[in-house]
Amino acid sequence: MQAHSLSRGSIAGLPAGSGGALPALVLVGLFFVVPVVALLLRSVTDPEPGLQNYAALFGSGTYVRVFLNTFLVAAVVTVVTIVVAFPVAWMLAIMPPALGSVVFGIIILSMWTNLLTRTYAWMVLLQRTGVINRALMGLGVIHEPLPLINNLTGVTIGMVYIMLPFMILPLVGTLRAIDPMTLRAAALCGASPSQAFRRILLPLSLPGIAAGGLMVFVMSLGYFVTPALLGGTSNMMLAEMIAQTVQSLLNWGLGSAAAFVLLAVTMVLYAIQLRMVGARRLAGGL
Amino acid sequence: MLLDYDRLGWLRAALAGFTALITAFLLLPVVFIVLLSFGSSRWLAFPPPGWTLKWYQELLADPAWVEAALTSAKIAAMAAILAVLIGLLASFSLVRGEFRGRQLLRGLLLTPMVLPVVVFAIAIYAFFLRIGLAGTTIGFVIAHTILALPFAIIPIATALEGFDKSIEDAAIVCGASPLQARLRITLPSIRIGIFSAAIFSFLASWDEVVVAIFMASPTLQTLPVKIWGSLRADLSPVVAAASSLLVGLTLCLMIVTALLRRRLSR
Repeated sequence: MQAHSLSRGSIAGLPAGSGGALPALVLVGLFFVVPVVALLLRSVTDPEPGLQNYAALFGSGTYVRVFLNTFLVAAVVTVVTIVVAFPVAWMLAIMPPALGSVVFGIIILSMWTNLLTRTYAWMVLLQRTGVINRALMGLGVIHEPLPLINNLTGVTIGMVYIMLPFMILPLVGTLRAIDPMTLRAAALCGASPSQAFRRILLPLSLPGIAAGGLMVFVMSLGYFVTPALLGGTSNMMLAEMIAQTVQSLLNWGLGSAAAFVLLAVTMVLYAIQLRMVGARRLAGGL
Repeated sequence: MLLDYDRLGWLRAALAGFTALITAFLLLPVVFIVLLSFGSSRWLAFPPPGWTLKWYQELLADPAWVEAALTSAKIAAMAAILAVLIGLLASFSLVRGEFRGRQLLRGLLLTPMVLPVVVFAIAIYAFFLRIGLAGTTIGFVIAHTILALPFAIIPIATALEGFDKSIEDAAIVCGASPLQARLRITLPSIRIGIFSAAIFSFLASWDEVVVAIFMASPTLQTLPVKIWGSLRADLSPVVAAASSLLVGLTLCLMIVTALLRRRLSR
């Protein structure tokens, strides 16, 4: 108790120790909360009070298709990311540190490289006449160039590429926290490797998989840049639709309503995730 | 057995092979773009028919690219400084404060990281249109500071949680004022967290595209906006040159980070 009274930075009228958060609170309150709330209000007031924007949003086949496509892409990206990330995280959790640090270095390099740079590289690689199509044709695997870009395939490749580090890094932590003894014990008791995997390793890593998967899903739902550049016009995602509605069509009411839907879904999933892991573990992916 | 590297058997070969494949996948675009930037083909043929530096010359000779890079650096530096200062103050409250709603406050300050950035982008754009900050440097800095704040708070708060507060109290007992104790004892102890916060918040602004697309005006463009515009127009190799320079910058930042961390943690 004494230690506390020694250094509390209490400012008159404010609860103990809260003063330091004041600048952050003012900044976030004025330039984050106010604009976002104002935007949401606009969805029920622009052009006139009422729910007509939401009616237009859910009543039109075009917009409903955008919603469905957004969830489809996010789900596909999440599943692929989990399946690819798990073996890599498993290897990283147990491999010798010297070799592992090279892999970690490459993961960090990919994660820190400018988003547009990475997406640009995929645009060139996945082109009709790009390296990947040429290599596959050269090997005789295919005879016609595959349509790898401006469709779901392109978006999935580009998004999985971006999401992988966010899945691998926390999963390594989860796997490292598992005591190898439990698996040795299982083997001693006669469990086959596949039994040990299904009954012990997988269940024990499930919290990490669920938390990482949810994070990837949430991030994918609202992603703008990569789907806009690698996706096609027929499978537009929600974020791009919102940007276009506001920027090109200048339809603020409809754009705000779509933004509210995206925000609501994100916040619900975020709350579930916070429940699951706590705010601190959530940041482990950084 | 499944978590014993030496006793995995054939599974180890399979896992190692797969990991190598995925590592190559992660490295592929980065290496590819650097090679491409030295290729002589305007149509981005690969492998290139010859090697050249002309895309770099074209890039550096174009004042629009240079100016965009300078604008980005200026905005990112200001946003990083603000985010670290404000985040540092907030972290002390979040970690040490004893008040109701502390968890709520933590959640609120970290929300800009989770909220889809496109929602924030159109919200702040509409707001700035109304108060006359759209397309201004100040507007850019404010918006980017908000986005960078979580990236500053997380490492600082984590470092502060790992710092034994009784050391600071000891300094106070020995006659230091609370402020002196914080400045001379606590801050140096959490410098790794502060340093990470600076790097992350700088990158958060430097790489930011979505808010920037809305905020940019013909006279105020950041580097990502310039790249975005070029990508939508054509796939010019000049973008590859610009991208390669960004990869080089990332590598420098990684090396500096690794070196400083090693030095600071001694």
